[in-house]
Amino acid sequence: MGVEVGTITAILDTTLAIVFTWVGYKTADILWKYTPYSYPNARIKAMEARLFSDQKFSELAESKTLNNFVMNLEDTDYKPYLSNIEGYSAEKIDRALDNALADMYTLMIKILPKRSNGFFKLLLQEWDVRNLAAAVKAKIMGDVARDYIVELGTMVDKIKAIAETKTLEEILVILEGTEYEDVYQKLLLNEINLEEFETELYRIHYKKLMSYAQSRKGEEKKIIEEFLKLKIDKINVMTILRAKLHRMSAEKIRPMIIEGGSLNQRIIDTLLNVEDLSMALAELDSTRYSQVLRESREALESGDLSALDKSFEKFIQEKIGEMTRFYPLSVAVPINYILLKEHEVKKLKAIAKLIEDKIKPESIKALIGEAL
Amino acid sequence: MDPIVYVSLGAALAAGIAGAASSFGVGVAGAAAAGAVAEDEKNFRNALILEGLPMTQSIYGLITLFLILLVSGILGGGFKFAEATQENIIKGAILLGAGLTVGLTGLSAIPQGIISSAGIGAVSKNPKTFTQGIIFAAMAETMAIFGLVGALIMIVTGVGF
Repeated sequence: MGVEVGTITAILDTTLAIVFTWVGYKTADILWKYTPYSYPNARIKAMEARLFSDQKFSELAESKTLNNFVMNLEDTDYKPYLSNIEGYSAEKIDRALDNALADMYTLMIKILPKRSNGFFKLLLQEWDVRNLAAAVKAKIMGDVARDYIVELGTMVDKIKAIAETKTLEEILVILEGTEYEDVYQKLLLNEINLEEFETELYRIHYKKLMSYAQSRKGEEKKIIEEFLKLKIDKINVMTILRAKLHRMSAEKIRPMIIEGGSLNQRIIDTLLNVEDLSMALAELDSTRYSQVLRESREALESGDLSALDKSFEKFIQEKIGEMTRFYPLSVAVPINYILLKEHEVKKLKAIAKLIEDKIKPESIKALIGEAL
Repeated sequence: MDPIVYVSLGAALAAGIAGAASSFGVGVAGAAAAGAVAEDEKNFRNALILEGLPMTQSIYGLITLFLILLVSGILGGGFKFAEATQENIIKGAILLGAGLTVGLTGLSAIPQGIISSAGIGAVSKNPKTFTQGIIFAAMAETMAIFGLVGALIMIVTGVGF
């Protein structure tokens, strides 16, 4: 062989350097991407195994009394939250279930990697927005605000204080220093109406979520953005269809639209300008939500939007579920679990309320099967 | 570089890279196992088996290390390629290549750990997926086996005992 010894060693050394740099980079990338989700996602999957089956819901629906309902939940994760209740009522059970949900959020924030747990802190704030909107709306309408509050979120004490206020000005004092202060001030000064106030709250919230999503990288960015887009689309479509039912003009609906969804501006503009609900539905038929609309078309045409809400929830759950199968070690798994858990709690609350209202087990089964 | 450097590097990289990869793989799967057991102790047996799968690559690395040390004479006699002749450098390079092959294919322990980790999650949710989880994770093992076979061929035909 006519090759110099020096040449052979030079080729070997260069090859080694290239191979090791590449392998080192790739290995570090893979480890950074997947390792932080290993523990939390396995734990969440184990928690998913404990989510209630249809049979369990059926058993609960047959409880007949709230006492039996709580007894049936004894061997579940809800036991610690329900065991301290004295004198069962649907309201007390509601609060206990809310506490279970709040602890679930706290657990997610604790076990998930730092690079994505901030998203769950922000998701928890969505309850603040819901509570604040509900409490202010109740106050203005003269209802008992406490009945509309869910004890969940990052400012439960403030929300409770808002529910106890005697004047609308007192609410402003409570909201001082929060990001909702300015928008509430506008409401007080009659610069915006109640619907616009609610939209403004959600707009602030989703803007924060979106900017968080955009600050992420790779899969995390993709999953969180997709989830948020679905949620924003749901709010926008529901708003537009509700407005169309009430024959509101495009100018009146436009301020209630939240930016950032997957429906492009052209579709939104068309939806705003169509004359009635059936034309809006026809326009939405060409979007990714055609399946959602098809499932709830009949109810929609009779003016019932709750079926659409249910179909949308199911669609979002399915989409995130698909993502968990595609990205098993990612933020999709905890998002999916939160959706499933919230759905479960919603069903449990409905069953408790129906039992309290002395509805027959057969009717409860039918209601929880259809309405939720 | 002298032949001794290549031979030593070959042996060290075979066991070193494969061993490090195995530890990462077991680490990833172990974290998942801990998560699964934290929620339900019944997951222990399934999680333990899946967690152990990425360990095999370190065994292949160790086998290669012994073979390289044996054929080069470091184990059981004097070092055969001490002189920096062209032939000795080539033999040293072949042993380095064999070690690298096992070391680099041993990196499959990392994705195997990731697959095992996902498998532990799946088994925690549905214990019936245990066999499928094992099969999916074992697929990553094939690369390491190919690497070991390739290295054996290189050592036997390129250097010989």
